[in-house]
Amino acid sequence: MSILIDEKTRVLVQGITGRMGAVQTMHMLKAGTKITAGVTPGRGGARVEGVPVYDSVGEAMAEQEINTSVLFVPAAVAEESCVEAVDAGLKLIILITEHIPTHDTMRIRAYVRNHGATLIGPTTPGVITPGKCKIGIMPAILFTPGPVGIISRSGTMSYEIAGLLSTEGIGQTTVVGMGGDPVVGTSLVELLELFQKDPATRVVVVHGEIGGTQEEKAAAFIRQKKMTKPVIAYMTGKVAPEGSRMGHAGAVFIGKRGAMDNKIKAYQEAGVPIADSPGEIARLVRKDLKA
Amino acid sequence: MILYEHEAKRLFKEQGISIPQGGVAKSPSEAAEIARKMGKPVIIKAQVLALPGVEAGDAQTAGSPEEAGRIAEGLLRKSYHGQQVSELLVEEVLPVQKEIYVAIRVDGAAGTPLVMASLEGFSDLDEEAQASAKLATVHADPFHGLKSHEARKMAKALGFTGDAAVKLADQIQRLFKTYAGWNALNAGFNPLVMTPEGNFSASGAFLELDDSALFRFPQFRELSLSRILDPLAREGKTIGVTYVGLEGDIGIICTGAGIGMATVDLISKRSRPANFLETGGGITEKQLADVMRLVLKKPGLKGVFLNMYGGINPIHEGAKGVVKVIREDKVKIPVVAKAIGNFQEETWKVLEDGGVTVIRTIPTDQAVEELFKRLGK
Repeated sequence: MSILIDEKTRVLVQGITGRMGAVQTMHMLKAGTKITAGVTPGRGGARVEGVPVYDSVGEAMAEQEINTSVLFVPAAVAEESCVEAVDAGLKLIILITEHIPTHDTMRIRAYVRNHGATLIGPTTPGVITPGKCKIGIMPAILFTPGPVGIISRSGTMSYEIAGLLSTEGIGQTTVVGMGGDPVVGTSLVELLELFQKDPATRVVVVHGEIGGTQEEKAAAFIRQKKMTKPVIAYMTGKVAPEGSRMGHAGAVFIGKRGAMDNKIKAYQEAGVPIADSPGEIARLVRKDLKA
Repeated sequence: MILYEHEAKRLFKEQGISIPQGGVAKSPSEAAEIARKMGKPVIIKAQVLALPGVEAGDAQTAGSPEEAGRIAEGLLRKSYHGQQVSELLVEEVLPVQKEIYVAIRVDGAAGTPLVMASLEGFSDLDEEAQASAKLATVHADPFHGLKSHEARKMAKALGFTGDAAVKLADQIQRLFKTYAGWNALNAGFNPLVMTPEGNFSASGAFLELDDSALFRFPQFRELSLSRILDPLAREGKTIGVTYVGLEGDIGIICTGAGIGMATVDLISKRSRPANFLETGGGITEKQLADVMRLVLKKPGLKGVFLNMYGGINPIHEGAKGVVKVIREDKVKIPVVAKAIGNFQEETWKVLEDGGVTVIRTIPTDQAVEELFKRLGK
């Protein structure tokens, strides 16, 4: 089992003819992802890595089996591209694009949710269910199937955590990049809820950063016993200077707002063990898997 | 990108918000001249790039043009957060009946703009104070913005009635239109003053634009680079990477924000990083060469640590840029690299041939240990 994506997922790539879209389509196909179509307006009839390209999502949906869209489109057209996917009836949208204006993201998030669909991202590496489906830019070699769910606010940290667990023989059900922006489509709490319901997931590792209130809300969710599976946290940005955005638009604290202390305290009060280093994550996960 | 208060006020005014009469001075004589023309007491505010909650520049009142000149001279010698004051806002002093503090920011969890108003000041606008009865809050709709009935409800919640409530609601709604129109992250009145005659005027103002939205506002896009005060951070921005200067002597280059923060955290346990640097996606040989030279500019560096993941990034290309700089610039300090992901074998070979110590295991803590060993720590 897994969350969000599995062997039944059929993927549309929006922005497939772009430099990034084309290269990542190749990597996703290599990892076994079933990509049935791509869209770039004006490039209908072309093929990328053998995948047929259409002018619109509607045309692609009419001819191919599709249930998920992944977007590699420029930031300036991300909003209209997401709206097009939703209007065509897609229910899972994975928005890889970085540097989308936050006001656009607020509208994208609201539009997708108002239509009963799920948005992952933006500024996400994507989602991978190892061995079954990889949607996004993560290096597949670091991921192996197994019982651990991972949720991360950073692409590279999700690679590090999955990679170190894999080398220790501990695989993953699904690894989700939440996205590094101040506003993201799906919250940490909502993702914990999905892992709670997934019978194959036994432990969840959550990587958090300074900024926002996702971690505080997740801690409250765990304290309310709505998440009963073991959760292990790893936090980054401990020595960030106040007011500096640490590479992610959402990784910044001003005064108490978004500060690390609140987050650590919230997790501690919820009984969530916090790993001191990436290496310690594997030790804590192993302990929980044995229990 | 945070704007100076006088810039924020100019944009507020374009949206129909009343602002105090005044002007910008860059010298004591200019400040005195503005005061003379106004012919009344003035307040002189040091212009600093800061949001409320962080120590902003001082403001002082002057009763005469001469006094304005003297105060200006003093303020122009000051610096705040390492920012040397170079501009002063000289404005009329408004008679105050009431002060209303309004802030609009992005509520990440709700995914909407959050509008907050209070009579008590900005300490009241923290997360924890949201339940306070003195605070009026509205989560604005991402499509429709702050509706007029919502703004009127806020004004009433703050105790305003009749004509005053309508006028205040109008000013708050105009603030929201400014915030939305400029795709801002933060906007506010700090404070909005109600005079005894019942007029409103934004005596204090702040506005932070979204760097990701600057492609829509070319006039600010050009300006934004000059607003980065640290020259190394500014150079980073021109190369297309994020550089944050820190106090120490270990240079850091990472290919992602999360791994970058983790690396800085781990090195800080036993040593001191010189910087945080993350490249984001799409590195090239040239970009990593530029990045390497940027990091090496910090004086007194003892070592450089690279933490690279080949997901979206062709790290084998980046590695060529790193070793090129080591060779051409005759870099003598230890360079330690962890490189994992697509094309890792090619990357390791390029780096090792170029004299870089390569760590092939995944946990960054182990790689950092190796760096400390090389540095004799």
